[in-house]
Amino acid sequence: MTIRILIVDDHPVVRQGLKTLLEGQSGWEVVGEASDGLEALDKADILQPDVMVLDITMPRLNGLEACRLLRRRTPRPEILFVTQHDSPQMMREALEAGARGYVVKSNAARDLLEAVKAVSQHRVFTALTRDTFSSY
Amino acid sequence: MKLRILLADDHEIVRRGLCALLQKHDGWEVCGEASDGREALELARRLKPDVVILDIGMPNLNGLATTRQMMQLDPNFKIIVLTITDSDQVIREALNAGARGFVLKSDAARDLESAVEALQSKRMFFTPRVNDLVLAGFLEKGHAISSSEPPNLPALTTREREITQLLAEGKSSKEVASLLNLSTKTVETHRSNIMRKLSLHSIRDLVVYAIKNNIIQIDVPLDVKSDPQSTVA
Repeated sequence: MTIRILIVDDHPVVRQGLKTLLEGQSGWEVVGEASDGLEALDKADILQPDVMVLDITMPRLNGLEACRLLRRRTPRPEILFVTQHDSPQMMREALEAGARGYVVKSNAARDLLEAVKAVSQHRVFTALTRDTFSSY
Repeated sequence: MKLRILLADDHEIVRRGLCALLQKHDGWEVCGEASDGREALELARRLKPDVVILDIGMPNLNGLATTRQMMQLDPNFKIIVLTITDSDQVIREALNAGARGFVLKSDAARDLESAVEALQSKRMFFTPRVNDLVLAGFLEKGHAISSSEPPNLPALTTREREITQLLAEGKSSKEVASLLNLSTKTVETHRSNIMRKLSLHSIRDLVVYAIKNNIIQIDVPLDVKSDPQSTVA
């Protein structure tokens, strides 16, 4: 199965970690990276990915606003939030903004692949954790 | 012979990113990965790495306490701390603990390689803003910032600091005792001593103290609706 993915996070190390994980999957391709919401909107237009892996808290334009703006324009790509916000309220807000998936960063290595697969097939995938002391 | 690096961060996705960055460098290998300070200490003891990279905000035993204990184990360990904050107090504590490299997580992709190279050549490495602070401290006080005492930190023992973190993370005395292989009674004695030394009256006070003094770091979900330009990760 081919999945074209755009990674959006303001921390290069996190982008690198996500990329390493995603590109380990046969047929999955990271077609681009962005470091804030505005850059994400531009790259989504140009690259037309299937899935956008999106952080919430970023400079210039946060992920929720980027998600809302994108959804107004087009039903594609599917959006999966990967965020440190381990909160049901934030998850609800993300889904209301038009995202299909929500994964907490501290568990991303465990949940990411399944989540990307699910949202690429237009299924909802959400997972929270009780770990509230993590730092990044 | 390859340079062997031990990596400790509680987020696997960050470890993967760091590993990918470090392993691009010929002649370097990540010989071990740990998800908290306690595991990092165990691996350092067993693997004797050439360089250790420690996240500061880790559960169970934070990066600063791990640095202190690692240097007690062997003062030749070369330790780089990774942090999300470059506050003066954290820098001072990291230096006092024995770290010789200080890199902001947001700059790790740019600075980590230089930091490892510096420590490998027995030099220190600080993220550029920290470099300025260290120099400013040296010029103002006539001595390096590393020799000044951290403020607001009464003389807690290494064990008391460990227990302070675990209690502030919400663990019971019984859970702390089990983690540290101590009796519950011993932990309760330490707990009373900590509360007395810090003039605290409740666990809530202890949590506040631990946050203020960077013993634990806690994610505070931001209302990004009302703060769309927030830059906090």
